Amino acid sequence: MISTLQKTIRPVWAVRGLHRSAVEDLKRPAPEDTVTASYGKFISEVKPQHLSPVVLHRSKRMVLDSIGVGLIGSTTDVFELVLRHCQHMYAPDHISSVYGRGGTRLSPILAAFVNGVATHSMDFDDTWHPATHPSGAVLPAVLALSDMLPANSKPSGLDFLLAFNVGLEIQGRLLRFSNEAQNIPKRFHPPTVVGTMGSAAACARLLSLDHSQCGHALAIAASLAGAPMANAATQSKPLHIGNASRLGLEAALLASQGLEASPLILDAVAGVAGFSAFYEDYVPQPIPSPDADGHVFLLEKQDIGFKSFPAHLGMHFVADAAASVHNLLVGVDHGTVSQAKVQEILLRVPKSKYINRPFPESEHEARHSFQFNACTALLDGEVNVQSFSPASMRRPELLALLSRVHVEHPKDNPASFNSMYGEIQVTLVGGEVLRGRCDTFYGHWRNPLSNESLRKKFRNNAGAVLPSEKVEALIDAVEEMDKREDCCALLSHLH
Amino acid sequence: MLRKGITGSFGAAIHGLNTPQLTDGVINRSKRMMLDTLGVGLIGTRTDVFKKALAYSKLFRSDEMSRVWGQTELSLPPPYAAFVNGIAVHSMDFDDTWHPATHPSGAVLPALLALAKTLPRPPSGLDLLLAFNVGIEVQGRLMRFSREAYSIPERFHPPSVVGVMGSAAASAKLLGLSPAQCAHALAIAASSAGAPLANAATQTKPLHVGNAARRGLEAAQLARMGLEGNPDILDVSGGFGVYYKDYGPSAMEGSSSTDFRWILEDQDVAFKRIPAHLGMHWAVDAALAARAKLVAAVGNFDLGRVRKVTLRVPPSKYVNCAFPATEHQARHSFQFNASSALLDNKVTVSSFSRAHVDRPALKELLSKVQVETPGDNPPSFDQMYCEVEIETAQGQSHAARCDTFYGHWRKPLSQEDLVEKFSVNASSVLCTEGVEGVIDVVGNIESVRECSILNAYLSMTSGEEEQLYSTRSM
Repeated sequence: MISTLQKTIRPVWAVRGLHRSAVEDLKRPAPEDTVTASYGKFISEVKPQHLSPVVLHRSKRMVLDSIGVGLIGSTTDVFELVLRHCQHMYAPDHISSVYGRGGTRLSPILAAFVNGVATHSMDFDDTWHPATHPSGAVLPAVLALSDMLPANSKPSGLDFLLAFNVGLEIQGRLLRFSNEAQNIPKRFHPPTVVGTMGSAAACARLLSLDHSQCGHALAIAASLAGAPMANAATQSKPLHIGNASRLGLEAALLASQGLEASPLILDAVAGVAGFSAFYEDYVPQPIPSPDADGHVFLLEKQDIGFKSFPAHLGMHFVADAAASVHNLLVGVDHGTVSQAKVQEILLRVPKSKYINRPFPESEHEARHSFQFNACTALLDGEVNVQSFSPASMRRPELLALLSRVHVEHPKDNPASFNSMYGEIQVTLVGGEVLRGRCDTFYGHWRNPLSNESLRKKFRNNAGAVLPSEKVEALIDAVEEMDKREDCCALLSHLH
Repeated sequence: MLRKGITGSFGAAIHGLNTPQLTDGVINRSKRMMLDTLGVGLIGTRTDVFKKALAYSKLFRSDEMSRVWGQTELSLPPPYAAFVNGIAVHSMDFDDTWHPATHPSGAVLPALLALAKTLPRPPSGLDLLLAFNVGIEVQGRLMRFSREAYSIPERFHPPSVVGVMGSAAASAKLLGLSPAQCAHALAIAASSAGAPLANAATQTKPLHVGNAARRGLEAAQLARMGLEGNPDILDVSGGFGVYYKDYGPSAMEGSSSTDFRWILEDQDVAFKRIPAHLGMHWAVDAALAARAKLVAAVGNFDLGRVRKVTLRVPPSKYVNCAFPATEHQARHSFQFNASSALLDNKVTVSSFSRAHVDRPALKELLSKVQVETPGDNPPSFDQMYCEVEIETAQGQSHAARCDTFYGHWRKPLSQEDLVEKFSVNASSVLCTEGVEGVIDVVGNIESVRECSILNAYLSMTSGEEEQLYSTRSM
């Protein structure tokens, strides 16, 4: 399979009129004792049989959820904007599909970009521990690249899943190189740091690059990594995932062309920062070679969190807590909560500036506001897609509640998605105090969404854009992915 | 500590600065920068990294296309033209350097020329000059927000941090964006900043400048379409400050204010005579001087009689490379540059070719080189020195020290030498008419009505470029 792919890639470049200088036989370097080389080796040598049943199952759930959020994300303003931007640029043969847009094709890089933007546009996509949004950085790139490969050598479903999992694995491993990565981020937005690297790794895997090229793909990607947290809670945040996806693909393509970069990019070299530039503390470890004993993917041990509503993960804790208080207030007959009854609301949450917003002004800010999500759940019993519409955001009842919120940061509430809790204390006008607390919301990796709940979310999302036959066909295609000869079926249903 | 208004002041300044504010001093210096940048960009189109980036960029087309320098008829979508031309500029480490350290022009000029092609009304030379200076000024301002920026970098490669911001500012200026849009362009660009230093001394380093140009241009285009980022990106923690360990921003004074002064007025750039990292220039000047002393004493330079060469340089790991294996490493090696100077009595473009790097005589000399980092030699381009001491087998010692090499901002290249550097570089790709045309247009750019003429000259290749392409190994 590897040699077939390599052979068929050359004619593709030739058809595009690319000048490809004669490929010298690459001298395989002797196995080097560097962390970077171990990564190059892993990416180029790992095989589908290394994927365990648990990893296959979990990653297929991630593929499904990611496609769904991407499809609904194609209805957002930010998506529309970047699509317009990209349509100014096209390839001689428009190739790659755009989520939810049947008549539109873009060049692979740009398709990866817009689909990545769609995926993160509503902050509805998956979250891992240590914190990042792993799928949105990888799946769009792998899809775009699959579209790009010639018809007679499309990757099999298993190859596709392998590349996807390589992209996740590399991200997970890199996040474990620092203590800083264990907490809610303050400096760099994690998808822009590890997501770009994961995308490069996944694409390098799908392109069947050799050890050395895989290493260079990572190094080239490192020079494209890193965006500041300050752009979270703004319209630019979704571009972080879009760019991670597209730039990782770009890095892999440049590496396949022979571009070289630092062979020590992952290693810790005093006085010259590599990937370590993005962290205050950094201790890299080599990744073991996936030999006959197999490889245990991180996804086996550490599951993912899927979101039930489109907002920052921290919001899910307070929403759950607030929803339980809502239920106490309305009782069994599901009446409405009247804001007039509420005197004061106290939220106990971890300290994190970018999600502490008393009066959010845009949908992006609202998705990053403990106060907004708590009050919405208190009022409505839940937070959903519609909660962030302008009409919902402007409701007088909601604004009234927001004005009564105080926030505390208890010392025992760490800024970590693995250990935080959200607590709400509602004091009613009569003096009664109601409390709610959540340390593991439904959808958190400790309390995963059931398959039924995940499919329900997917149907709601995908159904916003596709007819129900395609929605069901996608569910089937993803479920059967590891058994399919090629991933064409999946690709054809995305729009 | 939230200090608002700084980002807004930058947006206002980018929007508000106008041609009357350009002083003679700034016009003169920035024209020199433009000329030098075009020359190094043209010769840079012969490099391997440029060819790879070009092959990649040819995947894309768009309705509006911009010229690739040094090619007769080749165009790419504007961001990709900016990308490949920016890579060309930095491909040989031959481009200008400022203090605090960055390579300011390569991030800005390729973006502007690419963008100029897409405007409904071609900008005048003065418009181009103004936008260029806005891009330079913003970079200079941002670098003054930290102490870290004043030393030779260790973490992020400066062009990838401030260069993309400068490109966004310059592009926003040329596009005539509103103050708010200018601020958003900066915010969007910030999410494209920051590449680690470890890729310096590799083939990927030039992409840092190419990407700065391209992504700054894109940021401005996205801002024009209404994309918004954090309007306080320069102010808030978790904003632009993430790229620095210490960060203290301040507002840019209003362009109409009498306090406004261009940084370039007071702080000139350095132009390189050698396509290598700036630090190498001290080493080469000192080595040549020490060699001259040796030759004056014994009549000639004989490798066999050299016992040891000691280099006294500032501490900087990424330019301390005892045995460089690639041209990129060679451009970042005190040892290599000093040794080449001693062996050949000069260091030129061809000193970094494969054949030159692999010479046994050079390797022999390299094995005799030792590096010391004296405590009084700070890693700052404004304060460092280099000392070369040659010890002969006879026990004699000949040493020389360089504090300020010719081309440094304290000892600028004469206009004649700058134009000569440009001519030599540009002639590797352009015919005489093209070479002289560029010199003429840039020299008089404030009077040029439409700067599109510059693109025309940049495409006047000499017929021999095909042959040169294959024989020259860069």
